[in-house]
Amino acid sequence: MSVGYAELHCLSNFSFQRGASSAQELFARARQHGYDALAITDEASLAGIVRAWQAAQESGLKLIVGSEIQLENGPKLVLLVENLTGYQSLCRLLTLARRRAGKGEYCLRLEDLTDALDGLLGLWLPRHGQDEEHGRQLQPLLPGRLWLAVELHRGPDDARKLDQLQGLAARLGLPCVASGDVHMHVRGRRALQDTLTALRHHCTVMEAGSRLFANGERHLRSLSALAAIYPAALLAESRRIAARCRFDMGELRYQYPRELVPEGHTPSSWLCELTWRGAAWRWPNGLSDKVRTQLEHELALIAEKAYDSYFLTVQDIVAFARGQHILCQGRGSAANSAVCFALGITELDPGRSNLLFERFISRERDEPPDIDVDFEHERREEVIQYIFRRYGRERAALTAVVTRYLSAGAVRDVARALGLPQEQIDQLGRCCSRWSKQLPSAERLAEAGFDVNNPWLHRVLTLAGELIGFPRHLSQHPGGFVMSDAPLDTLVPVENASMAERTVIQWDKDDLDAVGMLKVDVLALGMLSALRRTFDLLRRHRGRDLTLATIPQDDLPTYEMISRADTVGVFQIESRAQMAMLPRLRPRCFYDLVIQVSIVRPGPIQGDMVHPFLRRRNKEEAVDYPSPELRKVFERTLGVPLFQEQVMELAIVAAGYTPGEADELRRSMAAWKRHGGLEHHRQRLTEGMLARGYSQAFSERIFEQIKGFGSYGFPESHAASFALLSYASSWLKCHEPAAFTCALINSWPMGFYSPDQLLQDARRHQIEIRPVDVRCSDWDCSLEAVEQEGAQPAIRLGLRQVKGLSRDDAERLLRARAQQDFADVADLAQRGGLGSRARAQLADAGALRGLAGNRFRARWAVAGVEPQLPLLQAQHDQAESPALIPQPSVVEDMEADYASLGTSMGPHPLGLLRDQLRELGCRSSRELLAMSPDQPVRVAGLVVGRQRPQTATGVTFVTLEDEFGMINVIVWSDLAERQRSVLRGSRLLEVRGQFEARDGVRHVIARQLHDLTGLLHKLDVRSRDYR
Amino acid sequence: MRWLCILFPQLALDAVLRSRDDPTVPLALLSGPPQRRVLQAVNESARAQGLRSGQSLTQARTLLEYFDTVEHDPAQIEHWQQFLASWAYGFSGHVSLDFPRTLLLEVASSLRLFGPWPELEQRLRAELQALGFQHRLVLAPNPLAARVLTNVADGLAVDEQALQTELQRLPVARSGLPGELVESLQRMGLRRLQQVLELPRDGLAKRFPPQLLAHLDQLQGHHPLALSCYQPPDRFRQRIEFNFDVESTTSLLFPLRRLIGDLATFLAGRDCGVQRFVLLLEHRRQPASELPVGLLGAERDPERLFELARGRLERIELAAPVQALTLLAEDLPRFVPAAAELFSNRPQQSQSWLQVCERLRSRLGDKVVQPLAAVDEHRPERSWLAQERGDAAARPPGPRPGWLLAEPELLNDLFPRVLAGPERIESGWWDGEDVRRDYYLIETRDGRRAWAFHAAGRPGPLWVHGWFA
Repeated sequence: MSVGYAELHCLSNFSFQRGASSAQELFARARQHGYDALAITDEASLAGIVRAWQAAQESGLKLIVGSEIQLENGPKLVLLVENLTGYQSLCRLLTLARRRAGKGEYCLRLEDLTDALDGLLGLWLPRHGQDEEHGRQLQPLLPGRLWLAVELHRGPDDARKLDQLQGLAARLGLPCVASGDVHMHVRGRRALQDTLTALRHHCTVMEAGSRLFANGERHLRSLSALAAIYPAALLAESRRIAARCRFDMGELRYQYPRELVPEGHTPSSWLCELTWRGAAWRWPNGLSDKVRTQLEHELALIAEKAYDSYFLTVQDIVAFARGQHILCQGRGSAANSAVCFALGITELDPGRSNLLFERFISRERDEPPDIDVDFEHERREEVIQYIFRRYGRERAALTAVVTRYLSAGAVRDVARALGLPQEQIDQLGRCCSRWSKQLPSAERLAEAGFDVNNPWLHRVLTLAGELIGFPRHLSQHPGGFVMSDAPLDTLVPVENASMAERTVIQWDKDDLDAVGMLKVDVLALGMLSALRRTFDLLRRHRGRDLTLATIPQDDLPTYEMISRADTVGVFQIESRAQMAMLPRLRPRCFYDLVIQVSIVRPGPIQGDMVHPFLRRRNKEEAVDYPSPELRKVFERTLGVPLFQEQVMELAIVAAGYTPGEADELRRSMAAWKRHGGLEHHRQRLTEGMLARGYSQAFSERIFEQIKGFGSYGFPESHAASFALLSYASSWLKCHEPAAFTCALINSWPMGFYSPDQLLQDARRHQIEIRPVDVRCSDWDCSLEAVEQEGAQPAIRLGLRQVKGLSRDDAERLLRARAQQDFADVADLAQRGGLGSRARAQLADAGALRGLAGNRFRARWAVAGVEPQLPLLQAQHDQAESPALIPQPSVVEDMEADYASLGTSMGPHPLGLLRDQLRELGCRSSRELLAMSPDQPVRVAGLVVGRQRPQTATGVTFVTLEDEFGMINVIVWSDLAERQRSVLRGSRLLEVRGQFEARDGVRHVIARQLHDLTGLLHKLDVRSRDYR
Repeated sequence: MRWLCILFPQLALDAVLRSRDDPTVPLALLSGPPQRRVLQAVNESARAQGLRSGQSLTQARTLLEYFDTVEHDPAQIEHWQQFLASWAYGFSGHVSLDFPRTLLLEVASSLRLFGPWPELEQRLRAELQALGFQHRLVLAPNPLAARVLTNVADGLAVDEQALQTELQRLPVARSGLPGELVESLQRMGLRRLQQVLELPRDGLAKRFPPQLLAHLDQLQGHHPLALSCYQPPDRFRQRIEFNFDVESTTSLLFPLRRLIGDLATFLAGRDCGVQRFVLLLEHRRQPASELPVGLLGAERDPERLFELARGRLERIELAAPVQALTLLAEDLPRFVPAAAELFSNRPQQSQSWLQVCERLRSRLGDKVVQPLAAVDEHRPERSWLAQERGDAAARPPGPRPGWLLAEPELLNDLFPRVLAGPERIESGWWDGEDVRRDYYLIETRDGRRAWAFHAAGRPGPLWVHGWFA
């Protein structure tokens, strides 16, 4: 008996909360059964179609692209793509349906189908065979291309249903075809499918009743099972339809926007033109031969790969930003090229880094170039709106991100569907590690009081295990744009994002790669705002006109500052982990910074790359290259694989990978934590390396390192761009600390440190901080000259630091001041149009000292300002009885400063407590500098940081601040557990432990913690205790 | 005039704690919407673990993984404040509830009745301790001063002169002024009330709402404070909810003793007795069981009341686990001392017909007669159940027999005529009773129509599950 069948109606798990199997599972199963083809017809969505296409290629089974649609006022049908025209029709239709509805929903009406179904075939899915009218409505829309789909699932009376449907088809003159309404690849997914259904209906499976399918027949059934149910003719018809659908996703051709190229130019000639113009601007003194050769070489490669338009698109966006005085910096595989430098996409002079362009665009590798551009965080929206204006909404949209189930979400959802009590759902959720795809262990569950043998718990875990990794919903990528020459909805459906004024395509980054579409990441970076502001301040106050590209290079004092870990506020190397590493690595040149930025990351730390690197760097260990080829690959990182690019080179050089395979390895590396799939590389790498004479042990080690790399591995190209910003910000901190700090605060929130910490740091660098004063403060913090010759200017705090003060009030005040200085508080209130709230805020901040004295007096004074009518000015001088208002104490001023400015203008609180702390035997951070290591110590400070990195299992890093600086404390997990409430609850913490110091890195290993917060409160009490 | 202020610093928590067996288990009262649960109050042992009121539940769970939680219920606070007022009514005819968590009593005459202040104080404290409420007491010449001084003191008794000294020392923050006024004053560096009192009145009047000067005047007794007067209710109703199912009457005795004790306190405050009261035993899915307790005469001795109620309680069998216990007393005649009983000659208490009925029904069980109802379920044996209310929308997808057998029976007929089918039903995995069957509509040789099945996909002997009429 030879029947054949093609399944034409099948949902994958991209039909959220309906489909219970992935496309991969579906294709593998359909292949096993010997199907001719498999259509993936997710409901009003093509979000899963690229994955389906990949699964189809893996299985060798033909994919038919389609979609199931329930019309709002009409029938339900499946549309199948016959050819490219049909694919475009479908995308357009789904875009229409999605754009008209809210996020996650769609709405399509019968009238939308008129003249919109070219190249599409239709399967009509009648309900109970009753709605003949629907068939008549559809018939003229799909002449000769409409079938009545007969779907039999062992219902109450399939024979009668078949009769009825065939009768209906005969009356309408429609052909019939068998299809399966498939929701899962095997019957075994029935429980998961029921669970998803319950979740969709926001109820439990027990309550779901007839909303669940009556049985598990909606899976990919075997040919013999199908033959027992359907007449052979209906099965044969499915094959005929499948044969008609000849469209392949590979036919999609993506075209970059063409309008960027002026008349008479090709993209290639225009890119050359712009590049040479840019080169003349970048190298005003003429090009060296080396640079010229480099540019020519790159341009040739770009032309060969036909990436000209991509570079032109990025150049256009960057040119806009430059025109608007928005600072930006490109990064990514193609960004650090000489061409990008000439085009202004990056500020990184290619002559400065020893990076090779081939590494980023390879001739053999068919990998699309990747340029991310960071913009000032406060002004990125301007750039985004420009892109929408430039290309129109129909040709530009954001990329999607597929949010997938992690263990906590899966366990919670399943437990909810099974009707567990909320308390237990929460507790189960807590048992799952964050961001993990692993189910909680039996021990963890038992610890939390669950009976691991309970059948309900067992069901929850089994189903959650199946659900983990399923797509959950689509959301928008933070800044990944796709632009195309033709309207986007000829390539992929576009839908609404949850943010108004944003549209999102249904594909994510991986999908785009697979289809060969290019995206530009328009990202936001706070440091760029701060740098632009620093440059502005320097131009205004210091007569220096600097840009990222013209900051002096290879500056020794800057590198010395970095090596001291004096890096509060600078880009990337300001975190505690970075600071701990700086004195050991002691960066001396730009490439050292590239390494520094890359090495202090979870990947290299997990892969145990840091310590070998340090030992080799300090010449404590010889570098042993297993072969001359590998020496070439790893010399720049002393034999330690640090960059993704190196791992790819390694695979090529040592294990005989082709460039394409190496790229596949890179992708698997990024994805193995999520999807697994690195094991076949283990074999491939090991065999390749053994065959080339490397040892088994060596290849094992390399593989472990690659695994450790995982998704954290850093591309060298990104590291180089980041290192540029690290260097620039370090240089500015070193030579223009006042302007730099001022700009950082004005760009806040950003970075690692609060304005208070930045100001403390500035003070430690002898920079004068001047208080907010309505007579001279601007909205932003500003620079003011100091008497001393050659000294750094002082920072005058801006009105923006005054807590609660609105920008409108501040602007009014500034306008009034510009006309005439304020005479007194009444004048300020009247001309500045300030209400009682704003007046009080200024008084509390001490900003009225010049008009009304200290903050207490000022507060009394502003409260007495009465609304005045111009005619009654005489009242102004009405005598008032003198009031006895106290003078604020030092502590009161400090408290008020913290409360209203977020920083202390006077002494640090620890300075006030120093005597008491000394009595307790606590050393200050300054005393630690002189202390010899490996002895017991007591320290105390304000808790300003508490971090528990994922990489360092169980360790909590606590940062304490005192009047002299920071103290790093390490709390091991057993202590953290024992003294959890002290660790989490203290504002002022005393730590007793062991002092350790090595290579300029100092920290205290905690043995015991004490909450000294009471001392701070006592400061309060004492201040209030005077008479 | 002498005014006594009694402040209950943790009224809500005490109200919950007094009905719990083990007060040392960490406990927190919760409030707020499900997505943002906040700790309202925590008991001693929870506090020792770092829990504080105002923390979010999530934050608290990071500090202490397991602790008991109870919903914070403002209605309960109101209830207990009323209860405490009824207790205080036994000491003063003028009790005020105008301040939250506070009782204000005019005690000039009480002091004559109950002895000098130290004695009265001792007695009040003893009784409050027995009732299980933490408290602070201050005696002062005017009610506002008494109230405000409880903020900073406990056990203080001041006369006019001492009051002025105390007021001057009083921190502005604790002076009972509204928060925004306190903040304004503090921002002017004014920490003690003395500093405020020394400021010129015209300056203050210009800068602050009239409320400030009025408050200062009332505190010093320059102006009187108008207080409303508590009127005791004429019924007593108290409820204890359990956080687990109570399955035996013995376990109800502890809460019962609490309820009776509270009743006795209430009765003493009103100076009356109780003739008849009712215990309501609440169950999860059934109406509450009612247990009336009648007495020969009015009574208010907690021990006797408890013994009586206990006698009644131990005689019944619980119809279902009990979730809450309520004591309701409406028949509250004036209390006549026990000696009066000598002259009474009333008949034994008798139960009404209705009460007898209810008792009978609870003995026999409610399950004797019940209607049938359809349920929205794929599994036939679960698609109808004997229960009060069914799901009107539940309609089976195919033909279903009118008579469904409780247990399927093997079909004797080897070759029945199949009229329709197989209809496959696969459902119910979630409760461990997954059903996988293929059903057929068949006609037996004797012409009867049956609904019969075999295991899904495994043809074999058929089992009749029901008959069509």
